[in-house]
Amino acid sequence: MKCYHFTEMPYPYISQEVEDEHRGLKYFMPNRYYDPVRGYELYQRYLDEYELADELGFDLMVNEHHQSASTLHVSATLSAASVLARTRKGRVLVLGTPLPHRESPVRVAEEVAYLDAISAGRINCGFVRGVQGETYPSNQNPVHNMDMFFEAHDLIKEAWTRQDLFSWEGRFYHYRYVSVWPRPYQQPHPPIWVSGTTSKLVEWTARQGYTLCNLLGAYDDTARSFRLYRKAAIEAGLGEPAPDKFAYLAFCHVAPTEEQARRVGEKLMYYLKQGRQRLGAASPPGYSSTAAAVAALRGKLGEVRKYSFERLIDEGIMLVGTPDTVTKQIQRLYDETGVGNLILMNHAGEMTSNEVRDSLCLFSREVMPAVAPIGRDWRDDDTSWRVDNDTQPVETVLASALS
Amino acid sequence: MGSAERMLFLHDADVLPGPIGALGQLDDLVDIEVPRHPGFGSPLDDATEEWDSVADLAQHYLHDLDGEQVHLAGAGFGGWIALEMAVRAPRRFASLVLVSPYGVKLFGPTDREFADVLLLDPSEVVELGWADPAAVYGLRMPGFPRGLEDAEYEQAFADRAALARYAWKPFLHDPRLRRWLHVVDVPTLVVVGDRDRMVTPEHSRTLAGLLPRADYVEIPGAGHYPYLETPEAFVSAVAPFVAANSMTGAGL
Repeated sequence: MKCYHFTEMPYPYISQEVEDEHRGLKYFMPNRYYDPVRGYELYQRYLDEYELADELGFDLMVNEHHQSASTLHVSATLSAASVLARTRKGRVLVLGTPLPHRESPVRVAEEVAYLDAISAGRINCGFVRGVQGETYPSNQNPVHNMDMFFEAHDLIKEAWTRQDLFSWEGRFYHYRYVSVWPRPYQQPHPPIWVSGTTSKLVEWTARQGYTLCNLLGAYDDTARSFRLYRKAAIEAGLGEPAPDKFAYLAFCHVAPTEEQARRVGEKLMYYLKQGRQRLGAASPPGYSSTAAAVAALRGKLGEVRKYSFERLIDEGIMLVGTPDTVTKQIQRLYDETGVGNLILMNHAGEMTSNEVRDSLCLFSREVMPAVAPIGRDWRDDDTSWRVDNDTQPVETVLASALS
Repeated sequence: MGSAERMLFLHDADVLPGPIGALGQLDDLVDIEVPRHPGFGSPLDDATEEWDSVADLAQHYLHDLDGEQVHLAGAGFGGWIALEMAVRAPRRFASLVLVSPYGVKLFGPTDREFADVLLLDPSEVVELGWADPAAVYGLRMPGFPRGLEDAEYEQAFADRAALARYAWKPFLHDPRLRRWLHVVDVPTLVVVGDRDRMVTPEHSRTLAGLLPRADYVEIPGAGHYPYLETPEAFVSAVAPFVAANSMTGAGL
């Protein structure tokens, strides 16, 4: 099991009144509430924590959101550059660049190639559609989100691998001359990761042989989307995918006692706070199928946000407890889903830097060695998710997860 | 010379299909047709799913007209389509009625001229679009009105997706339209509710000033949908205008 450290780099100084007034922290938050000096201090703190995590043996993940007090990462590639400069060993997972929201896929190809080039190939390159609300900061048409994602991906891959000047006159992107410098250090290109639960996207990810990431899904939903991936990969002739083709993002806090872990870990709930988003932000027109949009309207999606803290621990979405408890939770996560990469949101909201650092150190000392072997000999493990053992039907996921 | 006996009325976003409200009353004067736009639950939905501009819709409706002159009308989004048709073929129309039309950006880059119907909650659309929100009827949006079957809300989401396809960016307008407004030498009536906050009366009044033969009329006590909210006043404003411009042939 590989373990990634992640913080969304929140700006936790927004009052509840202001948050309520603007229907949450994201996308429509006036920037008068941002204090430049406090922001600088936060950036230093979060980068320091990435540096510590690297020293402790974690790999590292960065992301991006826009016009949001819940995330000060504004560009996953910029954040990756900052983290690379502070660290020496860990892989840096850029998860991800929201392709439909970037004006220029060629620029994305250049930036990721640059990151890979300067780091001798420490990059895992994540591509995402961008969550619903991201539609408004970028103002890209949500109707075309999925098709833009696929076309941008095809163009980027061509730019990395063609090794000659080419032209691209597609549906959404138009270039007469493309040949990006540098090429990636990892050849033919860095490992590609994709997050999502939509059947079309999961099956496509499987056929490409990319790593599929589920963010904060309930275990049965996560297992369901991984099952869909395994079936599509086998149908594509790629063989049964190993655990390293799967990733899961969970909250995490470890402490010497259960009581202390729960007291501090509860602060991670900050991330799940749901503003009263307007209809078009929760369900941008054409972003999802009409059936999924109606399910969202009826409150059938994103149910994880409504779980209590205790239930989140029971469901294994909150990996919170003593090192022994959390080790067992991670074993269970593997047993139920077959995941091989764990992205740990070790910080959210008002957790102090010391709280984060204490958890990182304890996890590194006691949990990481215990979970490192999980999945190494996956072909010998007797698990329910192995294709030969799995008798569950393949089903569409109508996502308890958040993306 | 003949007389124009048909009116093509192009519907707004979120409005139920058919000749609702005052449109049914205009039927005494002209044969009114309210076609459903491709993408909004029309028989052409599948065949037109690649269409991505209001120019596509204008081309479609122009192509569908036979040789006779007709009265052209449109409300909101439909008003925008009507303007795109009028600048392409002004002589095909005996008259033009525009009800708080979208389509033309008039003011500065930070002036929000059209309410964001693709973001707002249905309750907000009603607040902005009706002088008396409690009197609302004739609209269908995702989750609005309450208590409908899933299929109705799915259609409402599909309508929103179609509107986004045609009008997402630039939002609810075409920067190329304004430079051709001077060719619309058609008797034109711009009708607005004085309480419209989806697109302000000031916007529509200024637009009317850019159309060579436009009169401007404000209906008191109505919002963005005067043909629904104050149907009698709407008919009183529109019927004499249409009747006065029914003789055709001069432009042909």
